[in-house]
Amino acid sequence: MASIALEKLVKRYDKVEAVHGIDLEIADGEFVVFVGPSGCGKSTTLRMIAGLEEITGGTLRIGDAVVNERAPKARNIAMVFQNYAIYPHLTVRQNIGFGLYTAKLSKDEKNARIDDTARILGLTDYLERRPAALSGGQRQRVAIGRAMVRNPSAFLFDEPLSNLDAQLRAQMRIEIKKLHQELKTTTVYVTHDQIEAMTMADRIVVMKDGNILQTGTPVDLYENPADVFTARFIGSPSMNMLPALALAGQSAVPSDDVLVGIRPHDLLAVVDGAVPEGAIVTLEGVVEAVEPLGPETMVHLNVAGASLIATSPGTLSPAVGSRITCTVQPGKLYLFDAATEKSLGRK
Amino acid sequence: MSLQVENTNGAASGRPKGGGFADRFSMHTKRLAWIWTFLALPVLFYSVIRFYPTLDAFRLSLTDWNLMRPPKFIGFENYTKLFADPDFWQVFKNTFAYLIFGTPISLFLSFTIAFFLDRVRFGHGFIRALYFMPFLTTAAAMAWVWRWFYQPAPIGLINDFLAYFGLPQQPFLRSTTQALPSIMVTAIWAGLGFQIIIFMAGLRAIPTTFYEAARIDGLGEWAILRRITLPLLKPTTVFLVVLSSIGFLRIFDQVYNMTTNDPGGPLGTTKPLVLMIYQSAFSSYQMGYAAAQTVVLFLILLVISLLQLWILRDKS
Repeated sequence: MASIALEKLVKRYDKVEAVHGIDLEIADGEFVVFVGPSGCGKSTTLRMIAGLEEITGGTLRIGDAVVNERAPKARNIAMVFQNYAIYPHLTVRQNIGFGLYTAKLSKDEKNARIDDTARILGLTDYLERRPAALSGGQRQRVAIGRAMVRNPSAFLFDEPLSNLDAQLRAQMRIEIKKLHQELKTTTVYVTHDQIEAMTMADRIVVMKDGNILQTGTPVDLYENPADVFTARFIGSPSMNMLPALALAGQSAVPSDDVLVGIRPHDLLAVVDGAVPEGAIVTLEGVVEAVEPLGPETMVHLNVAGASLIATSPGTLSPAVGSRITCTVQPGKLYLFDAATEKSLGRK
Repeated sequence: MSLQVENTNGAASGRPKGGGFADRFSMHTKRLAWIWTFLALPVLFYSVIRFYPTLDAFRLSLTDWNLMRPPKFIGFENYTKLFADPDFWQVFKNTFAYLIFGTPISLFLSFTIAFFLDRVRFGHGFIRALYFMPFLTTAAAMAWVWRWFYQPAPIGLINDFLAYFGLPQQPFLRSTTQALPSIMVTAIWAGLGFQIIIFMAGLRAIPTTFYEAARIDGLGEWAILRRITLPLLKPTTVFLVVLSSIGFLRIFDQVYNMTTNDPGGPLGTTKPLVLMIYQSAFSSYQMGYAAAQTVVLFLILLVISLLQLWILRDKS
């Protein structure tokens, strides 16, 4: 196990700079998730940590050692790929055994390690099968098995769940998280899915255009986004963002040039015309669409030309085309500078 | 219009009546009609041009026929004559020499070139085109160019080259021992481009993450080649082994064009089975005898191909 430190890490392809000198400290045993839209440099950063991409500038440390020029195998890391990268011509046992290729163990010791790993991952019954006879989730588990069989100092995951269906993804999320709690191995996990980031991370690193925008715990990022991008990227559905002008007349909203963010879950539809006490913002809009989710219903509103998403409790869905009122409680307004898009705090 | 007797034309009974002509037939019937419309031409073509002559060769191999008189049935006489003919065994040996040396050497070369060419970025397309060029060239033209290479100095390029370094001159095509390898080199060179292209396509189909995962697991270049690349390339290799073997067993163009003064010479040491068939049929007009040789070649090809597919089958 080891800490990982990125110091002014730069990746340049010919003239294009993909990663612009990022700094990050990953503590021993920490589960860090890199999240961002495609092309933000998150995978490139992971591949630099793995040693699959050359580092153009800056320093990469694993443990106490600078590993910039070390080959992947000398870094003692393990990586799980999006397409699993398990070999179709080998059995599950042989695939997991590949992780021990350089290990100086006897054949029996290797087999014992493989059996242990298979037991943890529930693959014992499949050890002699070929990948073709496995489901997507089982294949991904084989890939994880190959990674964990040799106790690496860090796990690197590159969008490992993107090829799975939604149900399996939710299940594997929990399995990977449990595995981390059990093994406590430093983990760097790359995804474009903010739900994976929120549910799995000890700490999330939000990246955009080759820069780190913000790092923090999932709750921290959700509660205190540093800028408009993070505010809209974290949380589902995305935060509603309005110019202050659109909310003119609301006493709580400053009149200067700011953007106001309201999370859909904080913009509550008024039921039975009873406006709740203490509301600092009251909006009226025309219902454009409703999405009943069961425990709540998302209501798409048109408020003076702007599209907003509000929440209505339970299965109470207002008719499309009707006018409804929504309110926001104190502390639920996120203010951003309109020019820099940086956070100005909450109100 | 009302029909007295309902004609379902294969459609399910109880289907709604009415509609146009096409609606009278079930989807299944219509699909079959389409399929057989398109298949009819190739089926007819293959029957007349391929299958009938092939089967007829078996019949002719049991006859004595010189094209002038109708074929006369003589039983297995052609076969007994063939197996007693020392020329046939020489030809048999030559044919297998082309196969046993030609196939592995050409596959080894083409894989090695494809493997390294796959990693070359500079001038990749140009180099690939250069390797592919011989495949587009007429066998006759190619054979004549190589024939020129093999001439004695000062005409022949290779002997000229040897002379320049003071090395002894080689007879090449004029020698009973060197002629066959000399022709084989030409044949290998002719097929190389095609095999390289196929191998490269096979290499490209292997996901790069397979190699990246292997590098992280600590495999060296040699181990990656042996344990990942070659096993994953097996379907491509099987395809090329079978195709290349058939090619060498049927070798004709290069031999015929490089030994025109005495086809298959010197002293029949380069003569393959196909050339022997050609000579029996069109120089000696022994059609029945030639047909018997064709049947033997057919059986050899069949056995070798099946054997290779069986040996290289997926054992999972």
